[in-house]
Amino acid sequence: MRVLSVVRREFLERVRTKAFLIGTVLGPLLLAALTIVPGLLMSRAGKPLKVAVLDEDGSLSGPVRTALSAAKVAGNPRFQVHDVPGDRKALDEAVLDGRIDGYLRLPQGALDAAQVEYHAKNVSNLPDQRIMDNAVEQAFVKLRLAREGLAADKLDAVTKRLDLKTLQVTQAGSREDKGAGFIVSVVMLMILYTSMLMWGQAVMSSVIEEKGNRVLEVMVSSISPSELFAGKILGVGAASLAQFLVWTLAGMGASLYAGAAAGGLNLPSLGPLVWGSFVVFFLLGYFYYSAMYAAVGACVNTLQEAQNLMFPVMLPIIAAMVSFPIVLRDPDGTLSVVLSLIPPLAPLLMFLRIATVPTPAWQIALSIVLLLLAIGAVNWIAARIYRVGILMYGKRPTFPEMMRWVRHR
Amino acid sequence: MNDIAIRLQGVRKAFEGHVAVHELSLDVPKGCVFGLLGPNGAGKTTTLRMVMDIIGPDAGTIDILGRPADRSARDRIGYMPEERGLYARMQVGEQLLYLAELKGCARADAQKRLSPWLERLGLGEWEKRKLNELSKGMQQKTQFVATVLHDPEILILDEPMSGLDPVGMNLMKDVLVEMSRAGKTLILSSHQMETVEKMCDRVALIHRGRKVLDGTVAEVKKQHGQNAVVMAFEGDGRFLETQPGVASVNHFNNYVELRLGPGADPQALLKAAAEKLRLSRFELVEPSLHDIFVEKVTAAGETLPGEAAGGKV
Repeated sequence: MRVLSVVRREFLERVRTKAFLIGTVLGPLLLAALTIVPGLLMSRAGKPLKVAVLDEDGSLSGPVRTALSAAKVAGNPRFQVHDVPGDRKALDEAVLDGRIDGYLRLPQGALDAAQVEYHAKNVSNLPDQRIMDNAVEQAFVKLRLAREGLAADKLDAVTKRLDLKTLQVTQAGSREDKGAGFIVSVVMLMILYTSMLMWGQAVMSSVIEEKGNRVLEVMVSSISPSELFAGKILGVGAASLAQFLVWTLAGMGASLYAGAAAGGLNLPSLGPLVWGSFVVFFLLGYFYYSAMYAAVGACVNTLQEAQNLMFPVMLPIIAAMVSFPIVLRDPDGTLSVVLSLIPPLAPLLMFLRIATVPTPAWQIALSIVLLLLAIGAVNWIAARIYRVGILMYGKRPTFPEMMRWVRHR
Repeated sequence: MNDIAIRLQGVRKAFEGHVAVHELSLDVPKGCVFGLLGPNGAGKTTTLRMVMDIIGPDAGTIDILGRPADRSARDRIGYMPEERGLYARMQVGEQLLYLAELKGCARADAQKRLSPWLERLGLGEWEKRKLNELSKGMQQKTQFVATVLHDPEILILDEPMSGLDPVGMNLMKDVLVEMSRAGKTLILSSHQMETVEKMCDRVALIHRGRKVLDGTVAEVKKQHGQNAVVMAFEGDGRFLETQPGVASVNHFNNYVELRLGPGADPQALLKAAAEKLRLSRFELVEPSLHDIFVEKVTAAGETLPGEAAGGKV
């Protein structure tokens, strides 16, 4: 099969480039940087901060120390309260020689002025400072309430803080989602979008290069243009799938790692359906768009000339990227369902729905069937434009001319 | 039993606005070196592209090796297009094997033939280099190897000599003669008739998509007689134009080629020339194909329907 020779060449030519290697490796590295590194940092930061309390007021030290000792992050105490006797000067020295990380200064009348100072070498540790702020505030509220005569045993109940948990309801049961599900699905959508564009344009520029090399006349004297077309789309597709699979596996690995890292990180663990449709919709989108890009490449002589013709090809992708917030806000709404069934939009929007809400199987199946039909039609038309276009040099054809090529013989 | 390599019958191709090839019929016998000659735009490349099924004819039939042309018949042809082109960033050897594979040739067979061909054309050390690291001349030679690596029985070379330096041309000529001796059928197309006429057994001259004449080179020349004269001399040769019996003169400073009209006497011309010039050469020769072509086209100007009756269509 000569098509296989073309597929083989197209695949190898692409896979051997530095850009491919870098792209393939860089994706997972970035993912690792985004998931594993914060995880590592978090576990290192897990060592509690050594703090002391300098109570100049004289009556606040006890409750504040209790509150600080009680402050927890992911089940671990955040602060270790040390006893360092002496005044500010002694404590400053303790900070400087590293015996403590910092100290809280509660000035005279701090309770009413609601002013407390934190002295430390590192004062840009915002998350910890927020925890400290909360703890001290809790302590102060309790102290004020006690001063107003509220019974000590009721204080905890009165000052209980609200903990709003968001839970996603799925067939597999509820799972807690800390808002990362949203971010993850949008990130995956972006990866789909850029991959489809990138590989579609790779097909286009390789057609333009072949035209520029004038190698096509030699090719077409050996194999038919439709075989060449099919071989190119399949070969580049195989390379793109290889890269995409590496990325997907890295993503799955990262999400498993994050899931194993005991809730420290907020990556939701995505189900096999989401990962599967990530790959399937990438491939479907690739076959839809790369055929169009191949036809555009066949109609032009240079990349610059391609710019104008590329716009109508990219229009649906742009439309999908503009309308995805609608789908995200109301994934089950009629508009979202309709949008996600339109073939050019489906690779992005149906995937987004699958990633965010449980989507009815028939809708997924219908979108895939419609997309396959559209891929068939687009490839048929594109192959016919390609067949004529690759041997035409000179003026870029007008749209009616291209339509004539499609009908031609 | 069929000894025709390629037969065209009534082949016609029109593009928007003009007819590139009019009802062209040609027979290329097996084993011959066939010259398809004519000026730029005569329809040579269009004809060859139809033979290779790069474009389809509007009418007529094309037979290859005695069968209607199909892919397996075309696999037995090596085609070097006028527009040379290969993958710039692909290694020479790999690229050649790939192109042979696309011709239905097993990779192992192509691999066996690769080194001898590269050596023959002086490309031995360049097998692992990318094409764009090669000089223009070497790229041309690589293109030629791409044409022959699948061991075709028929070679179609569109302007085989263009872009080659004299050394390259000589090498190309030697290789083509070897291939002809090995029994291959060669079709050479060119607008520079002098460069290929010495190699051809048979020629077809085409002009504006029509065949003006064809036959063996000997036949063609015989039909036109020994009515050409070349002279080398010192002096002013302009008076030659007005000599009786001289049909046309082509001046090259101290050298002229002239054609005699029907019934003219070369002796009278020699006498007249010897009186006015210091002759160092006076020779009666066969006309070149180019001269025959020019004569045919100008003479047929009134009678060829395509030109005379152009307004009637």
